[in-house]
Amino acid sequence: MNRRPVKLILIILGILIALALPFIIRDRYFQHLLVLSGIFIILTSSWNLLAGYTGLLNLGHAAFFGIGGYSSALFVLKLNLSPWIGLPLGGIVASIFGILLGIPSFRLSGPYLAITTIGFSEILRLVAMNWVSLTRGSLGLYGIPPLTPFNFSPNFSIKFVSEQNAYYVILVFVFLTLILLNKLIHSEFGISLKSMREDELGSQSIGIDTSRYKLTVFMISAFLAGFAGSFYAHYVRLISPEMLALSETFSILTMVMVGGLGTLFGPVVGAILLTFLSEGLRFFEDFVKIDIRFVIYGGLLMATILFMRNGIIGLFKGVGTSNEKQREVNE
Amino acid sequence: MILLQAMSLTKRFGGLIAVKDVNFVLQSGEILGLIGPNGAGKTTLVNLITGYYAPNAGAILYREKKISGLKPHAINNMGIARTFQIVRIFHKLSVLDNVRSGLVDRRTRPPWKVALDSLVKNRETQVTGRFGEERAIQLLEFVGLTAYRHELAENLPYAYCKRLEIARALATAPKILLLDEPSAGLNPKEQNDQIGMIKSINGQGITILIIEHVMKVIMDISHRIMVLHYGEKIAEGTPEQIYKNEKVVEAYLGGEASAHH
Amino acid sequence: MESLFLQQVLNGLIVGSVYCLIAIGLTMIFGVMRISNFAHGDFSMLGAYFAIYFVLFLSGWAGWAGSLVVAAVGVGLIGFFVERFLFRPLLTRWTDIDIIMLSIGLFIVLENGARLLFGATPKMIPDPFESKTINLLFFSTSEIRLICLLFSGIAIFLLQLFLTKTRTGVAIRATSQNRNAAALMGINISFIYSLTFVVGSALAGLGGVLYGTIFAVFPMMGAMPTLKAFAVTILGGMGNIRGAIFGGFILGVAETLGGNYISMQYKNAIGFVIIILVLLVIPQGLFGGREKK
Repeated sequence: MNRRPVKLILIILGILIALALPFIIRDRYFQHLLVLSGIFIILTSSWNLLAGYTGLLNLGHAAFFGIGGYSSALFVLKLNLSPWIGLPLGGIVASIFGILLGIPSFRLSGPYLAITTIGFSEILRLVAMNWVSLTRGSLGLYGIPPLTPFNFSPNFSIKFVSEQNAYYVILVFVFLTLILLNKLIHSEFGISLKSMREDELGSQSIGIDTSRYKLTVFMISAFLAGFAGSFYAHYVRLISPEMLALSETFSILTMVMVGGLGTLFGPVVGAILLTFLSEGLRFFEDFVKIDIRFVIYGGLLMATILFMRNGIIGLFKGVGTSNEKQREVNE
Repeated sequence: MILLQAMSLTKRFGGLIAVKDVNFVLQSGEILGLIGPNGAGKTTLVNLITGYYAPNAGAILYREKKISGLKPHAINNMGIARTFQIVRIFHKLSVLDNVRSGLVDRRTRPPWKVALDSLVKNRETQVTGRFGEERAIQLLEFVGLTAYRHELAENLPYAYCKRLEIARALATAPKILLLDEPSAGLNPKEQNDQIGMIKSINGQGITILIIEHVMKVIMDISHRIMVLHYGEKIAEGTPEQIYKNEKVVEAYLGGEASAHH
Repeated sequence: MESLFLQQVLNGLIVGSVYCLIAIGLTMIFGVMRISNFAHGDFSMLGAYFAIYFVLFLSGWAGWAGSLVVAAVGVGLIGFFVERFLFRPLLTRWTDIDIIMLSIGLFIVLENGARLLFGATPKMIPDPFESKTINLLFFSTSEIRLICLLFSGIAIFLLQLFLTKTRTGVAIRATSQNRNAAALMGINISFIYSLTFVVGSALAGLGGVLYGTIFAVFPMMGAMPTLKAFAVTILGGMGNIRGAIFGGFILGVAETLGGNYISMQYKNAIGFVIIILVLLVIPQGLFGGREKK
């Protein structure tokens, strides 16, 4: 069994590095990027659950992100709830909207579903922009309280305003998310989703209630995306309707494709890589005074589809054989 | 005992009547052959039984309970499984996983419960763990695909795909198995193997309804045969009776696909 | 103003006619090649920019007319290369999702590339008639808008003639219905693919010039027409040209009336609401129904 230990070692190594990183590199901006990466890992993984494992192309995913952010922010600002409660609440509200989007997916697929999901998120973005009394429109919400500190004693408390502390919080959530998704994917639920992805009519013939499975997976995916949005809101503390923009969904999409659609770590790799690449390009832009960041993004997406369809993780996996066969071959 | 019963079954697509006022029964334990020229409505009938279409008139009863109008997954959960004329296997899953997917217990659990169990229960107890693997390999042995179990389903030659679909259908532990042209594209040796396999499935107590064009196969294995033509049942009886039936001969020779022996 | 309602209907028809052109291109490409091109509206944008730069050379209505030709040819050419080198390799290899994603990548590149090249400030295609208004019986409108409507109408008519009366046109329709049968009949599928994509893109380019004439030209202008073109094609049934014509006018009128009587801010949402409502009830669109699974 050659591959398994290697994978295990890599994971343990990854965890150790992740834990130690803020102490190795103390630059605050770098740590900020780490936090953003963490948020995006959760966001991209949630999209991957829909698109990569179930075959549902959701181009309105940013709406869940934005709904989570706005919900949590509003609950905290207007009802004085603790942001820690706001986090799951944002996820739950997004999850309810997930039901709304799940229903059209029963009968629609491909471009029809894609367009409907775009329509969904665009309508919600317009609402966020125009329902000024609730959302302050394009100005957005500011002064969103950060995660409330843990007060252990009058002298000792842990605050979550700093990038470093926020990083460890998001790290915990990233671990939880990945563990959750890993269990779901390699389970009876996961195999049912994959069956639906491969052949919907065939999956119905073996007892899969495709409508209810789609609903369930939309709710799970939306919850995670909403949770990520809530965390984002309490971290950057300023949100606007742009959170629901199509460009946001396209970023998610690109991250997952580059990393590897339909794999557990593809979104992780993609999210980290593109968050840092994006910032690196920003510096490059300032240097050459040309706005090429998004052009490169788009070009990267196209190049991935054309030449590297299974993403970075796909390059390692090898095409044409299942995981277990590789294991056996290596034995 | 009558397991499945169709009464005055009719299905229209726009102006075209695909199945017209069809009545038949399926006795427990038998193999019922379903033949007829192309376009006679055979696959439509199977689609009606398995819930992919809802009838415009008439009803289908399974163990005295009305199933016409139910959705495909519900019908499978009640004990009726099928294969497709053009295989619908899960391409990017391994052969083993194709069968394992069929083993998942969806009879007693709605999707949210399956998701919850996935998180809470030990992987070993699930179909995706050891237990499922053993049962799945048993089924693969039965159809002769054990050697390919880790192969991606899309890499299988077509004839093997058909066998895989049968294994997957059997995984759902059905009482009735509907086979839609399982012998299409098989050479004579493969056809013989398949006759043996189908008889063996029947021997385990599974009632079978089989659509087939290859006369050799259907004459050999069917206890009874039903003939459709332009959506109507024109004959029913034992293989000998059908073979000699004038209406049947005329239906086949007077126009469309010729039967080859 | 008297007859405000009729006035709005006319405005809606004018805008709708532009949607028609763009949507017909999209639906043709989908019908023949099963490609959902999310960058289609960007072809319109490119067409509009062709016009902006062409009228710098030639002004007046000759310039405007010439820019239509330049846009059609220019965008058609771009479409040829895009199809040949980006989409064609994918057609046999991958799935629906891949093609959509590729076109999204193209959309991002074109939109932001245009921003780099042309700058973000909106430009205007100068009105060759200098905003002269025409007063008809119940409504008035600017001459140029009427010309746009006329042009669209003629273009649609000519296209229908092409598709029904010429051999190539019939070949396109045949391929759209049954690719294999068409190939067996001796139709050169490769040529048809290229031609369809070129014609479809050229139509988008023309639509872009008209759109830019009526509204304004800026790099991000492609997104809305894309989505609206999809709305129209879904309304009319993807692959169905007559449906696209019908749908284009419906959307134009519904949008204009909705914008005026319901809410200006949610005007753009009307298209989406329509799509979603239609698809919930009729998953294949109003005139669709050829979708085999």
